[in-house]
Amino acid sequence: METIRLLLVDDEEDFRTTLASRLKKRNVDVADVGSGNEAIELIRERSFDVAVLDIKMPGMDGIETLRQIKKIAPLVEVILLTGHGSVEAGIEGMRLGAYDYVVKPCNVKDLLVKVEDAYIRKLLEEAQQRA
Amino acid sequence: MPTYGNYLRKLNSRLNSGINSGLKPAVFNLFRRKKPNKDTFSPDTLSNLFRFKYSCFKMLLDSNAKFLTVISDIEERLQGQEIFGMSYVRSRADQAVFHTLRMVKNLDDLSGHRYTLLFDILEKINLKIKEVLGKRKEIPPTELILPYVQINAEMVDWVGGKNANLGEIHNRVHLPIPRGFAITTRAFESFMVSNELFDEISKKKVEIDPDNPETINTTSEDIQQLITSARVPAELEDAILLAYAKLSEDCGIRVSMRSSAIGEDSELSYAGQYLSKLNVPSEQIIQAYKEIVASLYSPRAIAYRLNKGIRDEDVAMSVACLEMVESAASGVMYSRNPLNLFEENTIITAVWGLGPYAVDGVITPDNYTVDKNRQTIAAEISHKTVKLVSKPDGGLMEVPVEDKFQDKPCLSQEEIDILAAYALKLEEHYGSPQDIEWALDRYGRLFILQSRPLRVEDYGKGYPLTPVLTAYPLLIEKGGTASAGVGFGPAFHVASDQDLLNFPDGAVLVARHSSPKFVMVMNKTRAIITDLGNIAGHMASLAREFSVPAIVNARVATATIPTGMEVTVDAYSGRVYQGIVPELESFQNACECPMKDTPVYRVLRGVSDWIIPLHLLDPKSPNFTPSFCQSLHDISRMVHEFSYTEMFQLSDFVSDKKGVAFKLKDFVPLDLYVIDLGGGLTETNVHLKSVPPDKIASIPFNALLRGIMHEDFQKSQLRPVEFKGFLSVMREQMLSPPSKAERFGDRSYAIISDKYLNFSSRVGYHYSILDSYCSPTPSMNYITFSFKGGAADDIRRNRRVRAIAIIFQSLDFTVEVTGDRVDARYQKHEMSLIEDKLDVIGRLLQFTRQMDMLMNNEASVEALAKNFLIGNYNLRNTVTA
Repeated sequence: METIRLLLVDDEEDFRTTLASRLKKRNVDVADVGSGNEAIELIRERSFDVAVLDIKMPGMDGIETLRQIKKIAPLVEVILLTGHGSVEAGIEGMRLGAYDYVVKPCNVKDLLVKVEDAYIRKLLEEAQQRA
Repeated sequence: MPTYGNYLRKLNSRLNSGINSGLKPAVFNLFRRKKPNKDTFSPDTLSNLFRFKYSCFKMLLDSNAKFLTVISDIEERLQGQEIFGMSYVRSRADQAVFHTLRMVKNLDDLSGHRYTLLFDILEKINLKIKEVLGKRKEIPPTELILPYVQINAEMVDWVGGKNANLGEIHNRVHLPIPRGFAITTRAFESFMVSNELFDEISKKKVEIDPDNPETINTTSEDIQQLITSARVPAELEDAILLAYAKLSEDCGIRVSMRSSAIGEDSELSYAGQYLSKLNVPSEQIIQAYKEIVASLYSPRAIAYRLNKGIRDEDVAMSVACLEMVESAASGVMYSRNPLNLFEENTIITAVWGLGPYAVDGVITPDNYTVDKNRQTIAAEISHKTVKLVSKPDGGLMEVPVEDKFQDKPCLSQEEIDILAAYALKLEEHYGSPQDIEWALDRYGRLFILQSRPLRVEDYGKGYPLTPVLTAYPLLIEKGGTASAGVGFGPAFHVASDQDLLNFPDGAVLVARHSSPKFVMVMNKTRAIITDLGNIAGHMASLAREFSVPAIVNARVATATIPTGMEVTVDAYSGRVYQGIVPELESFQNACECPMKDTPVYRVLRGVSDWIIPLHLLDPKSPNFTPSFCQSLHDISRMVHEFSYTEMFQLSDFVSDKKGVAFKLKDFVPLDLYVIDLGGGLTETNVHLKSVPPDKIASIPFNALLRGIMHEDFQKSQLRPVEFKGFLSVMREQMLSPPSKAERFGDRSYAIISDKYLNFSSRVGYHYSILDSYCSPTPSMNYITFSFKGGAADDIRRNRRVRAIAIIFQSLDFTVEVTGDRVDARYQKHEMSLIEDKLDVIGRLLQFTRQMDMLMNNEASVEALAKNFLIGNYNLRNTVTA
């Protein structure tokens, strides 16, 4: 499998950097930013396979970021991170085309499995598009 | 039946309208380029479309399996025997909603968005669940500090149970309490909020794994560190110090600061769970306050809340700040014998010096029994060598008791009379037996330090006194009954906290001193025996609360009972025997389902009403539609059913031309349909609607079929099943709604490729999902198998599940059993091994078809498993105990 290009968006710096460094150790190409706006900027410049978005962020929240990402790069698979008790946002996100959502705090191994699944789904989509 | 072209047009129209996922425009473009026409698709296109659909389908099945696991898990907890906390309820509710959502989302993707209505229904049910989980509404207090003259029992939400009771005792029972004031929950809120401690704590709490006590310790340490190093807001600090100054009247008095937690439900005693600090000098008051607040998160308190199902959100810490009573003697009294309500005797225990030694089990106190006519009917004066006193610079120290006082009673007859009268007054006022802490100061004044409801065990008219059994070696002849009951198990010595961490399930705890720390293993231990300690101690009341038989003051337990020795603890009479004593078995405490009366249990019950009940039983019913879904189970059931329909419709469209879905021909035992994802069949004869089994090329499917078609089952097919069992199954079938009976013999589906198999079936009475990958690369290979449900009654189901679990364990699978469900995994093995296992599973699927009816007794569990494992599949002749 190719290296997965992953965009990690979360305003909680501790959580984000820890997660990013753990994912890097597992050979994922991670870019991490702290806000929806930065995420949008980055996604205009570079291609990503999977984006992991925290739903609860100040300014542009995860749901709005998801909307924007899907406009710019519809093939990017998005995994949403939610805190406890925000299943509603998860429902909304899935409706908007998120691949899946994960309840925070999550174990890195589980998240990685999700990321890989999302990546495979993306490859399938691309193959379909080429066909 | 719509045509494929219709289907795609529908898909396109969906894709054109509303919100598009990123995936869909791709599909859309694809089909726009090639105008929908079923004859023009290339096999590649179809294959990719199918793979996309299949990846949705697989995720849906995965969530379906997980959702069912959540349900089984909740059902198990609803029996009330296992302990859980609010975090458990929240996480299970979240998981249930999450997996249902994932199923809905994938069905919606799979179908080209024809099920968006299900999102709305899910949202509605989710709201209902939220409602149940919602926090209680409370009126917040406005004062940071309240003096006792202003406090009464109704203010429990502001000042906690202990403060409220002290206020009540002072103002309404008119008994003496030390002077002082309460630091309210408003103060607590302001301290926590100004430091953002709630958020920080909830972040740390996620590290807790209830099954691993070590994580409780480390998390507790982190959280307490966080709290004690936070700053008390200036306004609060000023208020506390001002109140202290008024109390002290410039005399520089010491105070005792005691925890008074909110959530001290009168049903539960919180014996010794939180910190109290005695002899606190003025300059340490603020630090002591923070330490007491932090004790809300001591390992003991965390474990206790977890065990008792108390939500963290529902606890808060108020603190009692009382003038320090430099007591000459102190102790505990029970207004009635906690072991026998019919005995209207007040029991008073007393030690020299400060109170902690009366409840910590360090020394054995004097014990006075006063009957209802206020006659002292028994006075056991113990040998008291040490006592606890205040240190001049704050804190406490142990000092020797002067020789002449060591064997002297701590209380005079007059003092006993006064205390007994106080006890009766308190019992009368509160209308229930009380557990009271008292102190006697050096001027001979008696104070009440605390009074709370005594949790008494109702053993009926007197508790059963057991005869001495001479046939067994008697290890302990006479200890004090701290909690009545009988327990068996291997002894395990506890001398340190580390020992508690390593405490084995089902052991008997043996220790020198009694300690309230034992609460950490109360759900694991069968009985407790301590050399020292007393029946009025904290540990004793915890043991009674958890219904753990406990003997204290056994003196020689640690010396005569080594770790590992099997013992029988008869805590009715204070005796311990070596070995298992069958005569005492009937005395074992029946399970009291400790969870059932807790608030958290009621929340789980309420939540489960929106998760578990299944109303949509019959897919053929006109009500089998989204708008009739009333629970998450309904939704998942419907999604699951529809997902197969979707996959089949897709298969049917494709199979019209491509030969993707087949009925397996001449396949007697099963109504089996096969969907080939690629390479699963030796030839793709597009004109066939069914295939003979020998045309299958899928490695894992062939292996499974070998087992299913094992010759022994061909022979046994027509044998009549044993009558007794069969009738009982029939009865259940007839009592169930008719639709349930129709499920009998439902279709089975095999989705295959050359190396892959997903086999789901409803065979006979049960439901199973098998998923396997079988290739020359061992690291990729796996088998997962889930088995659930059945028509027979619960006990049979449970037996069958256990039999299957035994079989899978013997086959080297990793097995988990939850309720009536078995999950087994086997992975990273060579292809030939995977094939062998699949063959056995095939046979097991056949074997289990009639297993239900044969599960007549406990012995049949082992017997059936054994017969299967030795290859004896002829059930009729083998079901013997």
